[in-house]
Amino acid sequence: MSSRDLLSFRLNGHPVDVPCPSPRVLLDLLREDLRLTGTKRGCDLGTCGCCTVLVDGRPTLSCLTLARLVDGRSVETIEGVSPPRGLNPVQAAFVAHGATQCGFCTPGFVVTATALLRSNPRPSRAEIERAISGNLCRCTGYLKIIEAIESAARTEG
Amino acid sequence: MHLDPFELHRPTTVDEVVRLATELAGRFDYLAGGTDLLPNYKMHLNAKPHLVALEDVGELRGHSETRLGAMERLADLEADRAFGRVHPGLSDAIGEVATPLVRSSGTVGGNLLVDTRCFFFNQSYFWRSSLGFCLKADGDRCHVVPQAERCYATFSGDLAPALLVLDAEVEVAGPTGRRRLPLGALYDPAGDGIRRTRLAPGDLLVAVHLPPGAPGRRARYKKLRVRPSYDFPELGVAVAGAWDSDRVRSLRLAVGGVETLPRRFDDLTDPLVGAPLTPETVNRLADEVQRRVRPVHNTFLPPDYRRRMVGVYVRRALAEAREGSAG
Repeated sequence: MSSRDLLSFRLNGHPVDVPCPSPRVLLDLLREDLRLTGTKRGCDLGTCGCCTVLVDGRPTLSCLTLARLVDGRSVETIEGVSPPRGLNPVQAAFVAHGATQCGFCTPGFVVTATALLRSNPRPSRAEIERAISGNLCRCTGYLKIIEAIESAARTEG
Repeated sequence: MHLDPFELHRPTTVDEVVRLATELAGRFDYLAGGTDLLPNYKMHLNAKPHLVALEDVGELRGHSETRLGAMERLADLEADRAFGRVHPGLSDAIGEVATPLVRSSGTVGGNLLVDTRCFFFNQSYFWRSSLGFCLKADGDRCHVVPQAERCYATFSGDLAPALLVLDAEVEVAGPTGRRRLPLGALYDPAGDGIRRTRLAPGDLLVAVHLPPGAPGRRARYKKLRVRPSYDFPELGVAVAGAWDSDRVRSLRLAVGGVETLPRRFDDLTDPLVGAPLTPETVNRLADEVQRRVRPVHNTFLPPDYRRRMVGVYVRRALAEAREGSAG
């Protein structure tokens, strides 16, 4: 692997240099090379939102993002949106409201909801529903998820 | 799912893109948002040995009321509420593309040039191999129209109909320089689900331009799909018009999601200019558009149903556009 295959970016606030071939998507780099397995592989085709991470603060499907294209950018994963100890307000609200069932979709929902509350601290219910419409929960517990995000917005606001 | 090896190119100027595209003609794909291309690559659908990423080409970014950069992300247009107010129909279409996560990366140019779709094409390599593949990828026959020598895959972009009714033009850069053409002329009526545009080797879609009269046009885009989120259109109907009190000053209608190309129906709407739109003229228009479209059985919903919904959606789009804010 040549030096131009070395990828440099900020991951959860820390600089990372890692070798990365062109056909690697960000999801595979995070899970397999950097061992950050909080980001989940669901459909692997952009349908389910389980792999959502933030790239320069923007919710992004890591399964459809070539890792090489995050060179020089800042990436936040579920591990990074959580504080070093305890839970962030969205996570705490998910626990309080029983908004997780099997839990597989939860990291994607938490990342999407965290980004929503950063850009829009007091979203309406309709705005919450729209913001999470690209995240699928196959246990179909959407009502609790929506209530949790509403509650997190009240706590934070 | 893994991606087959490819070489990634990251040009920073339009000239550099055109040079690369000319040199690599036939052996590359442009990578815009990647939200449709990479799923296809993961399913080994027509993957190429080179990808030219357009991410770093600054000129392709940005938007105003009358210009949309080809690499402008749909989410950035959606977040611009002032833009949404002056372009209500386009705003409908943008907000109905896939999901917010797809729109976060998905681009204007990517949606206009999105690959056509078919139930027999958008499948895994293993699935397709069991049927012996098809005309559009790896095979030599069509499973939708078995005697066909052309591909019937469906045009599935939402923005094209909404931009066609606004008389949008596209700016294309190529080996011989820049040119502008009506958006409708980008799509090749003599083409099919495989060869669908008139773009030549080395061409790059730079921007979409909207005429000065486009902002404020009363417009709507109505999309039929199975799930209210994520799905590609089973039908998309766009209308844009202007009225002098009751009389039609201008009217355009375009349909996507039912054939290999989006199409406008000027010969049906032009005669309506100068007179009020009565329930009878609306019904005649809706029936005639419905009679002309030719959906085939290659998406989730049956073609007869999609065809019948054409009339319904034309009536709805027109009714809502007339109720919309005045132009």
